[in-house]
Amino acid sequence: MFFELIRRNSRRNRRENGLFFASLLISIIAFYIVLSLSQQDVMQFLRQMESDAVNRLLAMIPLFYGMTLVILFFLIYFASKFQLERRRHEFGMYLMLGMRRGRLFWLLLAEDLSSSVIALVIGLPAAVLLSELISLIVARLVGLGIIGHQFSLSLSAVLLTIVGFLAIKLAAFLILSAKISRQEIGSLLAEVPEGSKKQRPAVVYGLALLAGICCLGSAYYLAIQGMSWRKVSIMGLTILLGFAGTLLLFYGLRSVFGLILKGEKRDRRLHRFNVRQIQESVVCQSKTMAVSSILILAALCCFGAGVAVAAFYGKSESHVLDYTFLQEHSEEEESYGAEQVIETLQKHQLEKEFSDVFDMKVGYIRTTEEYENVLELDGLMEELSELPESDARDTLQNTLSYAEYPHLISLSGYNRLLRLAGLPDLDLEKNEAAIYMDQEFISGERLQIMNDLLADSPETTLDGNPIRLTGSVQTVSLVTDRSITLSFALILPDEAFSYYTQGNFDVYVDAALDKSVTDGVSLMQAISEMNQKLNETGLHYESYLQNMGRQLFYMVASSYITIYLAVIFLIVANTVMGVQFLMNQRKTHRRYKTLIKLGASYEALCQSAKKQVQWYFGIPVLVAAANSLFAVRALLSGILSSRTQGTVTEMMLVSAAMIFALCVVEWIYMAAVKRSSSRYLLTLMVPEREE
Amino acid sequence: MKIILEIEGLKKYYGRPGNQTKALDGISFQAAEGEFLGIMGSSGSGKSTLLNCIATVIQPTGGKIRMQGADILALKGEKLAEYRGKKIGYLFQNFELLDHMTGRENILLPLSLHSVSGKESQSRLTRLAEYLEITDVLEKFPAQMSGGQKQRVAAARALIMNPGMILADEPTGALDSKNAKTLMEKLAGLNREENATILMVTHDSNAASYCKRILFIQDGVIFHELRRNLPDESQRDFYGRILNVMAQLGGGSANVL
Repeated sequence: MFFELIRRNSRRNRRENGLFFASLLISIIAFYIVLSLSQQDVMQFLRQMESDAVNRLLAMIPLFYGMTLVILFFLIYFASKFQLERRRHEFGMYLMLGMRRGRLFWLLLAEDLSSSVIALVIGLPAAVLLSELISLIVARLVGLGIIGHQFSLSLSAVLLTIVGFLAIKLAAFLILSAKISRQEIGSLLAEVPEGSKKQRPAVVYGLALLAGICCLGSAYYLAIQGMSWRKVSIMGLTILLGFAGTLLLFYGLRSVFGLILKGEKRDRRLHRFNVRQIQESVVCQSKTMAVSSILILAALCCFGAGVAVAAFYGKSESHVLDYTFLQEHSEEEESYGAEQVIETLQKHQLEKEFSDVFDMKVGYIRTTEEYENVLELDGLMEELSELPESDARDTLQNTLSYAEYPHLISLSGYNRLLRLAGLPDLDLEKNEAAIYMDQEFISGERLQIMNDLLADSPETTLDGNPIRLTGSVQTVSLVTDRSITLSFALILPDEAFSYYTQGNFDVYVDAALDKSVTDGVSLMQAISEMNQKLNETGLHYESYLQNMGRQLFYMVASSYITIYLAVIFLIVANTVMGVQFLMNQRKTHRRYKTLIKLGASYEALCQSAKKQVQWYFGIPVLVAAANSLFAVRALLSGILSSRTQGTVTEMMLVSAAMIFALCVVEWIYMAAVKRSSSRYLLTLMVPEREE
Repeated sequence: MKIILEIEGLKKYYGRPGNQTKALDGISFQAAEGEFLGIMGSSGSGKSTLLNCIATVIQPTGGKIRMQGADILALKGEKLAEYRGKKIGYLFQNFELLDHMTGRENILLPLSLHSVSGKESQSRLTRLAEYLEITDVLEKFPAQMSGGQKQRVAAARALIMNPGMILADEPTGALDSKNAKTLMEKLAGLNREENATILMVTHDSNAASYCKRILFIQDGVIFHELRRNLPDESQRDFYGRILNVMAQLGGGSANVL
């Protein structure tokens, strides 16, 4: 009998609060997916190349896990509280009928456990399947054909999911049941008294609304101007202002409803009733709505930042080289260069698979012992300082101040590189030099300034010898590895190069794969296969795969983490709003009964409830969406300001995509809540015997 | 006199055959326009079931109910909602005001439900509010009104659509004697001056003495009928007669024990 009661109660709970149950399922899935991140094909693949970064990311997973546990705890606590509150009367009856408090506690605990177990039994297999699916899709999207996919069940992830989930459910349950079981039977049986509504003068609410908007405005001003990102204290102030602003905004929102009601003369079908219902929610639950709105905003920001970061790293730079062969460090002085590499390749019948193999020589100035002022740049610096002040100019000044002892690059190698990139050769006279700077240091505005300065071929001296800087700034990467960059170097004709370096320089042998190799397969696959062949030749090499791997890593890491957080935030916000709406509807069921007695049809009631759902969800979502326009802008100016100057249209696209995604999610949630509310209203339509 | 409500062999059984509760067991009566009809009976006699059947809150097991010639048991959907909204006005024991709307909004709620334009109703609202003495609580919320004011606001709501009949379910049940007296006087006044038809269920003999005719129900059947001899009989005398019948209801001839 006891177990039958448990079974029936927990089934009723699930049915009455399906939304909450569904959210539990989603959170279990989210838990598992983030915990099993290390098992994903992409991560396995990246681990071979970027083990450091991958490990650092994986080390952060427990942090995310812990954070989600805390957030979900509040969700579960909140939703369970509503559920238990609604059953107060029932508990009172159990106790009246002679059930001991201890037994009531066990009853509730068993109910809670049984629904948790059911959630896990449904959720975990779904999570494993979904995680596999994501793994396969991501692997396919990035063109990983290399590793055969293997079904991977992460036992530790399963265990941690179970433990974490049960732990927060139990903690929420213990706190709540302790509260309930301490109450007297009389107070359990009595209807919960409605909280008296304190009304303040309308001016107070109007002022709160204004103050809220001011707080939000100043918070965004601080963030977008970049002030918040410089000091922790200002950042704290910004966040505080943002929170306070949102709370005040929602607190003051009731004045708007007052105006709506005053302004309207006609009363369309139940319009006034709906507005009053919403007003009541706004009045009684302004804090919940504000917090929901903040959570949705957080989700939007996570999503926006993730997309921006992924887009930044995903921007494929034009790449020219596929391989760089390096000299092995050995004691004996061996001659090393393209010829030796080609010889080795021939030995293994691989020479046909490369279209171009050539030397890239890079060295230092060895004609002097000095390191200071070897390259005289005072003229350039002076011209720079006369330009109008700008960020680009300051950065350039800074870069050039380190350029007095530059790297040297031989012209012949660089010209081969240019030819490979499909660019015209560089012509240099005997006493001419071209400036080389890596793309990372010079782009956009800075490149423009520099080229303007070089337009009239300024004369200067290199180790005391006159030299003319000519041509435009060169930026094509010298070797495949994008983490090896030169902030400033001089390209010299070969004779001058050998003179200044005194024959002491490094040789990098650059190579590109032949078209026949890359045709028909993804570049990633072609390079991976070639790597396996090259491993047998004993050649020391670096391939473009590393760069792709690094890009991929940042894209995957940023998108996984941000989407995960965004999903969690969205779930919590929407579940809180949905559950609260439905519970309120139940609490105020008498009103609907009265409407029915006054002759309201089922359709009219459903329509009224649907309108309320739209408003109830719409207000926090709209506020969040409006906030997100500023917040994403602030985020971009904080995180990415120096690296990307995203155009306005790009940002608008990101925002539009985000808001669209949000609309879809909200639509789904609203549809679920509407369905649930309609079903509940139908039960009210059934006449009751009232004596 | 025009017959407005006809009830024939009305039955309402609860439970399965063999273990049935007969809340109404074949009740027949008629109500004419402008009548103030009371229905009395002890707890569980079936008086509220009768009212709820007429209000279409519950579906009877058998019998017929005709309101202004139309069979209300055949009404469905939009027609049924219209019947509830326009043909009858319901006055509840516990007022059933929506506590998050002002008095005015509560009174105008039926208009909003049935999408009726407000011009004519506005003047009706002003007149009703004046008559029921609730003009100064129209902008207040129910929580800020006294019990009597609440019930009079509820009465205004029941009357705003100018229904063919007012159904009142123990309207004085939650009121103190002074407020109950005021309410009954107002209802009787409406009946007298506006020729409003009122059907009131009550077990309060005092309230019942305002009626013109009273049906006594016991165990689901009509057991007695009283008619006030107007204009000769005073309210006090009528009250005395009611008390007599009530005494019989408790332990009189109808009681099998």
